[in-house]
Amino acid sequence: MNEQTSQARISRMKRILSDAGVYIVLIVYALIILVPFYVILVTSVKTNLEASNPDFSWIPQNGISFDGYKKALDMNPIVGKGILTGFLNTLWINLPPTLVGLFMSSMSAFTLAKIRFRGASVILMVMLLTMMIPSIITLTPSYLIYSELNWVGTPLPLIVPGLFGSGACLFFMRQYFAGLPTELVEAAKVDGLGDFKIFVLIGLPLSVPALISQLLIIFIGRYNDYLGPLLYLTGTDFYTLQLALWNNLGAYINDWPAIMAGCVVGLSPLLIIYLCTQKYFIKGITISSGIKG
Amino acid sequence: MENQTVGASVRKRRIRKEITAWLMAVWPLVGFCLFGFIPLVLSVYLSFTKLTSFDFSAAKFIWLDNYIELFTDPDFYLAITNTLIYALSMPITLVLGLIIAVLLHTGLPGSKFFRSVFFIPYVCSIVAVSAMWKWMLNTDFGIVNGFIRALGGEGIPWLTEAGWYRVSLLIIIIWSGMGFNIILFQAALANVNKSYYEAADLDGANAFQKFFSLTLPAISPTTFYLVIMGFIGCLQVYTPMQVMANPAPFGPDNAGLTIVFYLVYSLRDGLVTRGMGLASAIAWILAAAIIIITIFNFKISRKWVHYDE
Repeated sequence: MNEQTSQARISRMKRILSDAGVYIVLIVYALIILVPFYVILVTSVKTNLEASNPDFSWIPQNGISFDGYKKALDMNPIVGKGILTGFLNTLWINLPPTLVGLFMSSMSAFTLAKIRFRGASVILMVMLLTMMIPSIITLTPSYLIYSELNWVGTPLPLIVPGLFGSGACLFFMRQYFAGLPTELVEAAKVDGLGDFKIFVLIGLPLSVPALISQLLIIFIGRYNDYLGPLLYLTGTDFYTLQLALWNNLGAYINDWPAIMAGCVVGLSPLLIIYLCTQKYFIKGITISSGIKG
Repeated sequence: MENQTVGASVRKRRIRKEITAWLMAVWPLVGFCLFGFIPLVLSVYLSFTKLTSFDFSAAKFIWLDNYIELFTDPDFYLAITNTLIYALSMPITLVLGLIIAVLLHTGLPGSKFFRSVFFIPYVCSIVAVSAMWKWMLNTDFGIVNGFIRALGGEGIPWLTEAGWYRVSLLIIIIWSGMGFNIILFQAALANVNKSYYEAADLDGANAFQKFFSLTLPAISPTTFYLVIMGFIGCLQVYTPMQVMANPAPFGPDNAGLTIVFYLVYSLRDGLVTRGMGLASAIAWILAAAIIIITIFNFKISRKWVHYDE
């Protein structure tokens, strides 16, 4: 009897210890993720003098200064454009291909999942293969083609290809549509609706959560894209946010509050969107890789 | 007679339906043909030519000279070595991601909060993240060295010495990439059939035995997906190398020079001397490596990936 209780106590102790161990690892890793964000935030409101002090202060000692934000939001002295211009350019360059591409991918996905027609498997196979092709191969010839078309220096290379949709989005949406009951489509057919109308009136409304998660994934990828704008937006007319952040790094060498303020401004929109929509996000990521969840 | 006209109209309707279906389904494929397939074919040809302008008609066929030039350039070998070093981020991210996912899977209170935190870097611009780390890893006033000094250690030349520079880049790549692996592993763990564990409990298996003989095989399709995609991705990482590069263009002792960086540099800054043909040849060498690794991965996957059902 006594032995039993002591054994129970030992196993309870073991459990508490292992739970504590798990928490310690999780907390340390959470700090590794979060502390850098605090560091850029606190650095962005320091004076340059304080930021250059080797002894890092966790709380600004000389009060809060918005000099960094003023510089970051002002025109970049080298480029003559500000970070807000970059933000607006990023929006209008990326929203149309995100929305139109999502529509095209979904339409294709719906047709492949719910409508029987010859050649469906061919389209599916080819699109699956395209996902395996390293994007680096087409970089150079695409550049050449766009320059023959006089598209280099304009945002067209960043917009037009995206309008057609993508393999990744296609597969995600197909996975989702495949899970919808076929009876809905059959019933609509009996009502005499054409396939396109069935997609618009039934497929799209039923897939709103999936559409939102894809919208977020595509838009975030495009918002954060750096190599594309770097190669194709050679002038400063269509300067995107990522290029603005990069240029700030060059213009404000050793003025870390200004650079960090730029980072805060650049990161905030997506962080806010993420915090509001993480449910869709995490679900979207897991479905697109074929794991239910 | 009447039957025939009915048959004809049915067939007509069928054909119209097929055409509509094609018109709805074909757009991503059209996009791929125009902006993927044509450049793909073109790049094979380009890799055998010398072309130092944007005028396609000026391309001169030079057989394998681009490939020979690359394989006799010591910088290219350095780029290969560096690329392989940065590719270490893939296995590290995989193992660490799995460990964290397993810890989250214990389902302790707050694990949802932790999961949300761990995924944050995924939505962050790699330019901003690189700038952030550049600041934190600064030798003199970076917080990382401040922390090491506070513990009584000596500051590390993170960004100025080639070896540490590579470590720094690995840290950035791993820090940004972990969230994705954690989320996928966690979803896979949640899908493992619970009854297996109950059976193993009856057999008296301990936690490690259960993990290695039950959990790992059960989540192997996810592991496989992450390995395939991770390899394709980690060999092409570019942005952190470009943002961190100081001294320009490739960092201390060219430690940031990877195959993709070599390619982009040849395209943007060295167009006149190196040309588009050379850039295409670089891309194909990297692509060949990626394709071989991917095929190899699929081949050996039969040995360790277990699909249920």
